[in-house]
Amino acid sequence: MSSRSTFIGAVEIGTSKICVLVAEHSGSEVAIIGRGECASRGVIKGAVVDFKAASECAHAALEQAERQAGEKIEEVFLAQTGGHLEGFYNEAAVSVKAADNLIDHSDVRTVCDLALLRDLPFGRTVVHNIRRPFRVDGRMIPGSPVNLVGQRLEVGYWTVHGQEQRLADTINVIKGFNLNVREIVLASLASGYVVTSPEERQHGVLVIDVGGGTTDFALYRDGCAHTTGVLPVGGAHITNDLSIGLRLTQAQAEKLKLRHGRATVQTKDKAQKVWLDGNFAIGDRQFSQQAIEQIVAARIEETLQVVRQRLGAAFRPETCAAGVVLTGGTARLPGIAEVAARVFGVPAHLGEPPVWVAENLREPGHHTALGVLYCGIKAQAEHGQSARRGRGFFSSLRELFTHA
Amino acid sequence: MNHNELSLEPRVLADRAVAIKLVGVGGAGSNAVDRLKMENLARLQLAVINTDFQALSSSPVQEKVLIGLGITRGLGAGGDPDLGRQAAEADREKIAKVVKDCDLIFLVTGEGGGTGSGAAPVVAEIAAESGALVMAFVTMPFSFEGGRRLKQAEEGLKALRAVCDAVIPLPNDVLLQEASEGETVLDSFARADAWIGRGVKSIWAMLSKTGLINVDFATLRQTIGARGGKTLFGLAEGSGDNAMADAVAGLKVCPLLHTPEFSRKADRLLVNIIGGAGLTMHKVNELMTAVTEQFGRDSHIQMGAVIDEEMGTRVEVCILGTSDMGRGGNIRRPVAPPKSRPLPAADPAGASPAVTSVTVVPASPPSTPPTRGEAKILNVAPPAQEEFGFGEVESRGTFEKTDRILHDGHDLDVPTYLRKGIKIHI
Repeated sequence: MSSRSTFIGAVEIGTSKICVLVAEHSGSEVAIIGRGECASRGVIKGAVVDFKAASECAHAALEQAERQAGEKIEEVFLAQTGGHLEGFYNEAAVSVKAADNLIDHSDVRTVCDLALLRDLPFGRTVVHNIRRPFRVDGRMIPGSPVNLVGQRLEVGYWTVHGQEQRLADTINVIKGFNLNVREIVLASLASGYVVTSPEERQHGVLVIDVGGGTTDFALYRDGCAHTTGVLPVGGAHITNDLSIGLRLTQAQAEKLKLRHGRATVQTKDKAQKVWLDGNFAIGDRQFSQQAIEQIVAARIEETLQVVRQRLGAAFRPETCAAGVVLTGGTARLPGIAEVAARVFGVPAHLGEPPVWVAENLREPGHHTALGVLYCGIKAQAEHGQSARRGRGFFSSLRELFTHA
Repeated sequence: MNHNELSLEPRVLADRAVAIKLVGVGGAGSNAVDRLKMENLARLQLAVINTDFQALSSSPVQEKVLIGLGITRGLGAGGDPDLGRQAAEADREKIAKVVKDCDLIFLVTGEGGGTGSGAAPVVAEIAAESGALVMAFVTMPFSFEGGRRLKQAEEGLKALRAVCDAVIPLPNDVLLQEASEGETVLDSFARADAWIGRGVKSIWAMLSKTGLINVDFATLRQTIGARGGKTLFGLAEGSGDNAMADAVAGLKVCPLLHTPEFSRKADRLLVNIIGGAGLTMHKVNELMTAVTEQFGRDSHIQMGAVIDEEMGTRVEVCILGTSDMGRGGNIRRPVAPPKSRPLPAADPAGASPAVTSVTVVPASPPSTPPTRGEAKILNVAPPAQEEFGFGEVESRGTFEKTDRILHDGHDLDVPTYLRKGIKIHI
């Protein structure tokens, strides 16, 4: 690593807001020195639909962050989300070559290459190859299997892939600001990294990032990401439900959601009403608190149930000892942890970043950008250290800017 | 003209040339008409068309037509739209007799079944050919009635939209939202019928009662007589001191208008207000401001006000709007002249369509001159109407223009509470 410090921007282009963090990275130290945030436009369900509007917002956020940092961003790490991201699992096994059954580097390389052979459908590109732990004769090896003795070496990869054009859309937004995207990081992995501890990931934990337009989830088992997914349903859907159900404009529904939304139906009294504005102005209307809660609760519960169904057999309460961790802007809804605990049958709590994260960055809405920064740096470090496939899943983050 | 069942007609037509007929098709449609029969609206003729003899025989309506006797043997269509359509096709003459000599036909039907989905479009087509303005009120099935019925209902609705001037769907699911905990099935269906009844009644009142600011048949035709757009229909009432405010609030929750606010914009809007003798200009102004604010300030607005002594302090508002939805523009409905019209001269408002003429040639271009630059598209087959934001599949709100997210055959963009039939007390 160079001794000169680099200025890195971690960007999350979300459906509700665009968040930029600027960090000064010098060798082993990282300091966050600037932050920019801008309400997002032209992004629906995590995908850029209006390039111009999205660019304007992103550039405003980038500028703000640069101004605050007093430095120019040199490269960007970008979070990726959107319904187009999918994943599959592929595994391979080899017999150990050496006569004494001692596994060496070439065995590891062969088995990894074999496991990554599966072709992608046309028009799709790999975002991450996440390696699950090696197995030697069926025994799980948390670290590297090199120099262990065994006859059969197995490995599997969870490959996250997305549509090339959609990926290029977000990257082009950043390129429009004359910046290069150095790394792209799956949003669920980024926030998962921030809100869980290594111990939790070892015991098994499910991170659900309920954002504005998407719900990103990552299931960790045995210390690494096992399954990830994106469900393009988020807080905007709750707003839309309220707007249809109570016949409000989107803006009014949004306000009502933030003020009176609840993920569980707690109000028993049908007659209990809340004001839309509460400022005694003309045109203020009353709504039944119960109706609001019913609409929101139905959506939240369903969203979590769909996540559980998408995870399928990968999620079992026994292998998810550390429970469910919720993050993202919609996780601020009161009672959401309760619902998650009920749906998944394991304890659930709201994600907290590590204690060293500064007070003004602890909001759940910032977790992804924070995670992107650290995942990106970690990946960079590992790229620098070795050209070969390294340990840990972060090393398999792809440098996409060369392809885009 | 001297059929038994139509014996009243000449007298009815003698004082006003607008002949309105309410035609119920299928089981649900007949039930709704039966219910309205109790209301005894003068000048409103009623008829029911069904494939089920048993259901017909119990109807109190005078004019009953059994169709498809040779196909269903009078035993109903059994939920098969094809059978319903065949039955109607087989008895075109009978249907033509029912819809003959009418200016406005309300078609009432319940989508999802055999006769409703299959026969109703045929009836509408025959009615349109005869020169009448056809407005259809249709109930959409409950989600719990199953996907097949819903699919049939949507196909039926689409077919109906292609031949009607206005189609006003009433999703039963929305009624479920309104229902109280202990409401019986009977009550729920009665509620659906009641809404249809209110809709028909308000238009009937608009046309038959002479207003302070009169809305006549021509105005109605002007407003809805263009196909290929959305239809917006809502009504509400209020009473007492805050009658106007109540009415405006009522409009906001009218199930016939069950759509989020951003799509409630109409290009042409007809607003009719029925009030007691105490209706003041000030109040009318107040209401019109609120209504236009909500449904489109730039629209072409027709307004009517009717004074009805019986209303007392009550006020009833009925809005009817259409909007042109892109897609090659709207097509003025070809107004085919009726074959023979009794008493054509007695037409005070000059309202009815072009009178006297030769036999009807349905496929030929209309006899009325095309208006407002619509000439170029007149020969194009009428497009199916734009799907209106009603019912399960369609209310996606802001996500209207985005890809669907399908999970287990459900569109996740549609509000969960709607898909699961959770009752919301507004």
